[in-house]
Amino acid sequence: VNSAPKIRIDLHSTVPVYRQIVDALRVHLVAGTLAPETQLPSVRRLAMELGVHFNTVGEAYRELAAEGWLNLRHGRRVTVMARVQPATAAPGQIAEFRVRLRSIVAQLRAAGVPSPAIGAELRKLAQELKSI
Amino acid sequence: MNGAVFIALPMLALCWAIMFVLPHLSPLRYFFAITVPPDFPSGESGRAILRRYHWRLAALLLCSVASVWPLAAYSPVLAIAYSMMLPVVGGMACFLLARNQVRRFSASLPPLREAELSTAPDRLPRWIALALPPFAAPLATAAYLRAHWAEIPARFPLHYDLAGTPDRWAEKTARGIYGPLLFAAGLMLLLLLLCVAIFHGARRGRQRAAMLKLEIAALYFMAYIFAIVALMPLLHISLAASLLPTVLFVIGVAAWGYKLARDPEMPVDPTPDQYWRLGSFYYNPNDPAIFVQKRIGLGYTLNFGNPFSWITTGMVAAGVIALALVLPR
Repeated sequence: VNSAPKIRIDLHSTVPVYRQIVDALRVHLVAGTLAPETQLPSVRRLAMELGVHFNTVGEAYRELAAEGWLNLRHGRRVTVMARVQPATAAPGQIAEFRVRLRSIVAQLRAAGVPSPAIGAELRKLAQELKSI
Repeated sequence: MNGAVFIALPMLALCWAIMFVLPHLSPLRYFFAITVPPDFPSGESGRAILRRYHWRLAALLLCSVASVWPLAAYSPVLAIAYSMMLPVVGGMACFLLARNQVRRFSASLPPLREAELSTAPDRLPRWIALALPPFAAPLATAAYLRAHWAEIPARFPLHYDLAGTPDRWAEKTARGIYGPLLFAAGLMLLLLLLCVAIFHGARRGRQRAAMLKLEIAALYFMAYIFAIVALMPLLHISLAASLLPTVLFVIGVAAWGYKLARDPEMPVDPTPDQYWRLGSFYYNPNDPAIFVQKRIGLGYTLNFGNPFSWITTGMVAAGVIALALVLPR
């Protein structure tokens, strides 16, 4: 039996909860584990399961809808849209990615995660990207 | 010796026994309704707090036994009320005292929360249909009473005093005869609706199904007890016929509750400590759940930070008051 994908949030994280939900959902959307036409749980249901305010989930859904990932038509279920990927990335995207990546690596190292473990994770991610 | 003592003393013993085992009836992750590390209750500090709690309870029990005796001679009814109220008030004071001591050792729950992105409908299990047969009991009892209407005396006892002598009577009217059955059916329906509300208003998890099973067992018990009460004008039913199943039901529920609460596999509702008041009242306006897992005993309680909780409370209270109006006077 295929189980539904899951998302996870960390209440102690400095990253706002709505941002964590957006990021976690985007990982599934980009990877295709949430394919177009897939229905997502209602704002109420997801908020209840995560134990966060409705507005937090609503804001996350709205942000993904603005990015073109979700269809949020009033009175209907939240569905994943077939999003057309831009042909060229906006300038500065890679530079921003580099800054964020370095920041995450620094955070992990500060938290005591050994460098080889971080490197292994990055190599694994690079392999996954090659196969797409 | 005053007969009230024979009621008040066992009542005291039962209430104190419940207070005595209360810390053991909570889910494993909580100790006196505070989140603690899993090995804390069996550690030195945990055992010392528990020991002090039990000593305080024992001292209070001795005082209450000594005071219930003269009170029974003065007012039997007051002695019985006192024997029920004192363990609850005194026991809760001891519990809160111990809770304050545990607070120093509190550990936060893991901050990670996970949710399945499933849109599978959150349906009630099929075995919820087992909640329907108990509703046949009031109907069958009413049919039996109607068939034997002529045999019902014009006036029948409604209440007995401590000596077993009737002290309140009811007339043979439709309200007098069918009132308790209507009250029972309404109360059972209210309980069933509350079960459904809890199922849909709480987070998904194994505890929801356990709670439903417990409520269904309660429906069967209520059907039996109210059928006996309704048949009293017609049949002579011994006290043991109602008392024995009540004792068995309470023991069964306590044993089952203990087993479920101490199950290490049972998921814990992620409710932060700071939103709990006196260990029993949950107030978190940011949590959309209407019902959350209790920290003392088994079951669910309301999230008073959610406006729907107040609506639910109001509807249940209004339902019980409306049902009480159909009872014979």
